[in-house]
Amino acid sequence: MFTADMISIDRATVSVALAGNPNAGKSTLFNALTGSRQQVGNWPGKTVEKKTGELSHDGRRLMITDLPGAYSLSAYTQEEIIARDFLLTERPDVVVAVLDAANLERNLYLAVQLLEFETPAVIALNMMDVARRQGLDIDLHELSRALRAPVIPTVARNEEGLREVASAAIGAMSEPTRPFSLDYGPEIEAEIAALLVEIEHSPSVAGHYPARWLAVRLLEEDRDIISRLARLFGGMALVERAEESRARLFATLNEDVDLMIADRRYTWIHQLASRVLRSGREDQVSLSDRIDYFTTDRRLGIPIFMIIMWVVFKITTDVSAPWVDWIDGVLSGPISRWALAALGALGLEQSWVASLLVDGVIAGVGGVLAFVPVLLSLYFALAVMEDSGYMARGAFVMDRLMNRIGLHGRSFLPLMVGFGCSVPAIYATRTMTSRRDQILTGLLVPFMSCGARLPVYVLFAAIFFPGQATLIIMGLYLLGIVVAILVGLALQRTLLPATAAPGMVMELPPYRLPNARSIRNQMWLRTRAFLQHAASLILLSSMVIWLLMAIPTGRQGEFAATPIEDSVFARVSAAVVPILSPLGFGTWESGGALISGLVAKEVVVSTLSQTFGTEMEAAGIAGGSFLADLREIITSFMAAVVDTLRALPGIIGINLTGEDNVAAPGLASAIHSSFHASSGGHAAAAGLAFMVFVLLYTPCMATIAAEKHELGTRWTLLSLFGQLTIAWLVTYVVFQIGVWWGG
Amino acid sequence: MLRDVLQAVETAQGPITLAELSRRLNIDPGALDGMLQHWERKGKLVLNSGSAVACNMDCATIQCACSMGAGGACCPFVARLPRSYSPANGTAGVQANTE
Repeated sequence: MFTADMISIDRATVSVALAGNPNAGKSTLFNALTGSRQQVGNWPGKTVEKKTGELSHDGRRLMITDLPGAYSLSAYTQEEIIARDFLLTERPDVVVAVLDAANLERNLYLAVQLLEFETPAVIALNMMDVARRQGLDIDLHELSRALRAPVIPTVARNEEGLREVASAAIGAMSEPTRPFSLDYGPEIEAEIAALLVEIEHSPSVAGHYPARWLAVRLLEEDRDIISRLARLFGGMALVERAEESRARLFATLNEDVDLMIADRRYTWIHQLASRVLRSGREDQVSLSDRIDYFTTDRRLGIPIFMIIMWVVFKITTDVSAPWVDWIDGVLSGPISRWALAALGALGLEQSWVASLLVDGVIAGVGGVLAFVPVLLSLYFALAVMEDSGYMARGAFVMDRLMNRIGLHGRSFLPLMVGFGCSVPAIYATRTMTSRRDQILTGLLVPFMSCGARLPVYVLFAAIFFPGQATLIIMGLYLLGIVVAILVGLALQRTLLPATAAPGMVMELPPYRLPNARSIRNQMWLRTRAFLQHAASLILLSSMVIWLLMAIPTGRQGEFAATPIEDSVFARVSAAVVPILSPLGFGTWESGGALISGLVAKEVVVSTLSQTFGTEMEAAGIAGGSFLADLREIITSFMAAVVDTLRALPGIIGINLTGEDNVAAPGLASAIHSSFHASSGGHAAAAGLAFMVFVLLYTPCMATIAAEKHELGTRWTLLSLFGQLTIAWLVTYVVFQIGVWWGG
Repeated sequence: MLRDVLQAVETAQGPITLAELSRRLNIDPGALDGMLQHWERKGKLVLNSGSAVACNMDCATIQCACSMGAGGACCPFVARLPRSYSPANGTAGVQANTE
């Protein structure tokens, strides 16, 4: 039988295993104890690092093994299996259980399981400095008495308590105390006693495992132990005996035995923690919890979220505006002139190549690139929210809202991702465990306003609502959420009946100061995605649209020299004009932009720049010498810096800049005139309606492909036609209200 | 205690924070986290590990700019959200596992 008596005492070498929860300071203690006398390798057959080291103390040589961090010894994770296997097969002389004193109750669960191994043990109560700072006072004597093991307070990173731990380890091996044993209640204890008798009658089993520990594990139906016993002589009989015990206990207690045992451990630990832990402070609520009291409150959570989002959009629109102007000015002025001058040197200034470069590539791609500062500002604000920990609170309050439409707790992630890009958001729905939830979430994702739509909002808000751009853009994001909620409610009353609203527990990380490197990385990764999009899909789209605008439909026109309204592009786009006319923007330019927007939403802006840009090119491109252009770039750059600084106070409501102006004057006036004419004089209403349509109609072809892949053809078709119908209806209502309002 | 924790999650009307549940049940947040993990292991709760979700996607199938992420991040639009637990009962995937 395996007993403490089997341990050889007074040996010169003592084997010690360090075990503990992750982040309990176990490795710090190991490093402090062993110094440079360490060997690092891997556990056999595993990728988990194995560290062993030596320590000489009181004439003994301590061979210390740092076991992987684990929360229990239930053999569910690789770390738990390694730790348990080591204790069972290597049988160290002493186990040092390293506990985080500041998180004692959590750490005691593993400690109890370690003590049940019946190996002499020492409790290293680490991070005592943190516990003291938190005002925790721990009754070490009572803790030691309850656990039947010496408890040594340590601060491993300051090398406090190391000698005491080593001495206690040697002492525990030399003078073993009565093994720790937790009372599981009369019914379970009776079955444990019966199993102990069986184990004693199976010498091959008894020699392998601590008897009481084995009996408890068998009652917990530990699959790993059962399969090991099956290989031992007499093991199967014991397994069958344990099965009978479990059946009897279930009949008596009407509950699974493993649950009863785990519950008993938690209850005992909770009672012990209540006895030994004393708080020196009246108020133990952390600053994060105090802030969360407001930010996650049922009534205040949403308004606070709205205020923060308002600041985000204020930064996005106002701070970036001078830089949008600057990039647009440089691209449409000096860059276009230099490109034409270069082509002139090759004798191509009047050729279709010049038109392709200026009207196609620079107007199309440049029209989108001008909005890079807008996206940089948005990604900066979002990165700050994420890194500070607020984004988790935002997700929490929004999830509460989504819960009301019967969405599962898992839905919030795809919906949040949808604010960046609809495609990964659709793919993220595959993690939903219910098909109904996946379909519902997948159908709602396209209504979350993705980043690609933002340039359209910024352009149109600056043209039609200067001064209220932030309000308009934020309103559009909110409208997307409101439409998603209404569609969700409609679907759950019709095609996708609601199941019971499920609960969810979310672990909110503590607030922290955002890290500059992390913010920079996030901004760069997301902006680079946009730039790569501009360099590939948008460039290709711009060239195709230029080609369609260059091909005449009549016999009289010439390639690349035909009036744009006689081009193939204009004629094809005109096909949707009757559908768009009731919405206030029934022109072939708007229709063409919306059709091309199916490729990607950024293409809406590039197409508008191309269609309206050709009329302005002469004025924009005419300029001075190379040096004059350079002077213009530098002067406008300095002006942008000054304007940005003046815009900063606007975030808190102090306006030093006047109206927002991020659209190139020529493009802005051309779009305004077009919408004024198409809406019967209600340009602002038509502009707002256009933005609403862009918000609600199909995001892009890649999203449709993703929906088909994840949801199937039937749901994709429903989604496609549903979005177009909803977009048309909501836009119509918005335009009519705008006209009635006098917009 | 364990049953109380599971029941509290299952009967919660919408999401609650770990700190809120800890106060409600008078259980230390760390210990409560351990109990939630226990129920996850038993298949009664599902762990939603936010940051891993979108990264587990097959990027080759995604036609947006998802393949250029650096530092292990597959998609730049991945939202880093905190861990959460939700009941597994009533969901198709879990039912299939238990049948």
